[in-house]
Amino acid sequence: MSDVDHPEARDLPEATAAQVATDLPEAVGRRLKSGAWSSGLSVADFAACVSMGLRPLALVQGFCAMQWSAYAMSGGSPWGSRPTAGSPQGAGAPYASAGSGSGYNETWPCPHGIASIEHRWGGNYEQPWAEHAWSQGFGSAYTRMVEEAQEAGAHGIIDVVDTSRYLSEQSVIEFHVTGTAVAVEDSPAPPAPWSTYLAGQRLAKLFEAGFVPVSVAAAMSSVLMWPNCQTEYLLRGTGGWGYSYGGEIEQVINADTAVRRLARAAVRSQLGSDTLHGARFAVTRHTGNMGGHVVECTLRGTRVRRFKDFDPIPAARPTVRLS
Amino acid sequence: MTEAADLPEATRHRLEELEHGLFTSDLSVNEFLLVKHAGFHPLGFVMGSSIYHTGIQTRRWGKSQELTKLTEAMYNARELAMTRMEEEAQELGADGVVGVRLDVNYYEWGRDAAEFIALGTAVKAEDGTSYLNAQGKPFTSDLSGQDFWTLMQTGHVPQALVLGTCVFHIAHRGLAQTLGTVGQNVELPNFTQALYEARELAMTRMQDEANRLGATGIVGVRLEEKSHQWGSHTIEFLAIGTAVTKGTGAATLPVPTTIISLDN
Repeated sequence: MSDVDHPEARDLPEATAAQVATDLPEAVGRRLKSGAWSSGLSVADFAACVSMGLRPLALVQGFCAMQWSAYAMSGGSPWGSRPTAGSPQGAGAPYASAGSGSGYNETWPCPHGIASIEHRWGGNYEQPWAEHAWSQGFGSAYTRMVEEAQEAGAHGIIDVVDTSRYLSEQSVIEFHVTGTAVAVEDSPAPPAPWSTYLAGQRLAKLFEAGFVPVSVAAAMSSVLMWPNCQTEYLLRGTGGWGYSYGGEIEQVINADTAVRRLARAAVRSQLGSDTLHGARFAVTRHTGNMGGHVVECTLRGTRVRRFKDFDPIPAARPTVRLS
Repeated sequence: MTEAADLPEATRHRLEELEHGLFTSDLSVNEFLLVKHAGFHPLGFVMGSSIYHTGIQTRRWGKSQELTKLTEAMYNARELAMTRMEEEAQELGADGVVGVRLDVNYYEWGRDAAEFIALGTAVKAEDGTSYLNAQGKPFTSDLSGQDFWTLMQTGHVPQALVLGTCVFHIAHRGLAQTLGTVGQNVELPNFTQALYEARELAMTRMQDEANRLGATGIVGVRLEEKSHQWGSHTIEFLAIGTAVTKGTGAATLPVPTTIISLDN
């Protein structure tokens, strides 16, 4: 990474700087080698972590600022572009993009049979460029977080949180992935740390249920919907020619269904023989750069693997909250 | 009031009233119960404030750099507010302050000036054990009453609310850089690097504070970002958390019980 002007980084001894993973800023190494550990865990999660024999090592994080362009042509057509060379995305990575399989395209002719500006065809189109850009940004940030965890000698990363947001400049999105690196007491570190969105009692219950976390799994899918005339009328609350119409808006339903299906398929491709725990869909909608409606779906969860039989959970105690 | 040493007259009067047994606190009833259960008694609501002129610092349009003067200003202002709050707690003979909140307010009448406020509830151990931190001051913590109780059950004790800050100017992209990436979805290393460095500096400073206190760890770390009034390319990165040490007592964390809530 390029140099940044601040005195602390320049003052680092060469030996210390050399120990830092090549892709990480020098300040990371300095922080990880300081005496006190830090953690983003809540106290309740910290308590559960200690009870499970996990020792927090450091708050670890990774970032990636990505230019986000609708006209991306890196290695293919705008509708089928692949990540640029050197991307951490690859087979088996926990952030394969949704656009890896066959694309989703669906056309919607004008049902009125009238040729005019108002009466037009529409379509739903998967946007692989957006999916690949997301996976590249998320993947780079995730990889850097894992590098930090390895630097700290971690066995795993718990309480992973990933966010993305627009920076001040247009079309620049920052991906930010954080977590708490932990070590299992009296146990050698594995070659690569595992990661999970879980922490605290949820993680404890996962172990009790006989599963161990392998890695976080996440994917984003994106569908651009150009409404045809009928969909446009219905979105405006009319059925065309001024009369109201109650019923399903099929094009919207298909776009919403497709975007979830694509995200699910992309995450499923990351799982191998493992299963997904705690899957969460997040759907957002916005207007496309060139018009139309964009529906995006992010699916996150923890890839888990069974290691023992299920421990029976004690019978739950009925309680009444007095507040 | 130029330094932290002098408390206003009104403060002294309020604290004297609290010494007669009445206490004030912003703890909820549940928090109050758990703080009591942890063996502490609330003494009073304490606060510290500092109105600070943060000024300006020149920056290079195309260079990512830390704005050290602004960093120092944000640091000093918070430290002054925190120190004054600690001083109020010391006046009450407190062992610590729980539920600390650090706020920054801007007022229309003070351009480039901000008020930094630290608020919390001073507490004292009921069994007479001293919980003063390594610097001989009352511990401070942003933990809620519930979290404070849970932390004590793990055998850890809070040392201080530690923070690290870094005001960083993120370089603008030049015309050549912008044109060079037109139509591509690519990482922008200058932005990534700058944001990375700024957050790391803030976190390192927070950990340095914890190390100076002899803390073994920091729980509940939050990373906050604000541009305040400096424009979108100048950002303050604040890392804040509660430094803790292993106490002398053993962990007495109860085994969690599964429950079924009968509420709606």
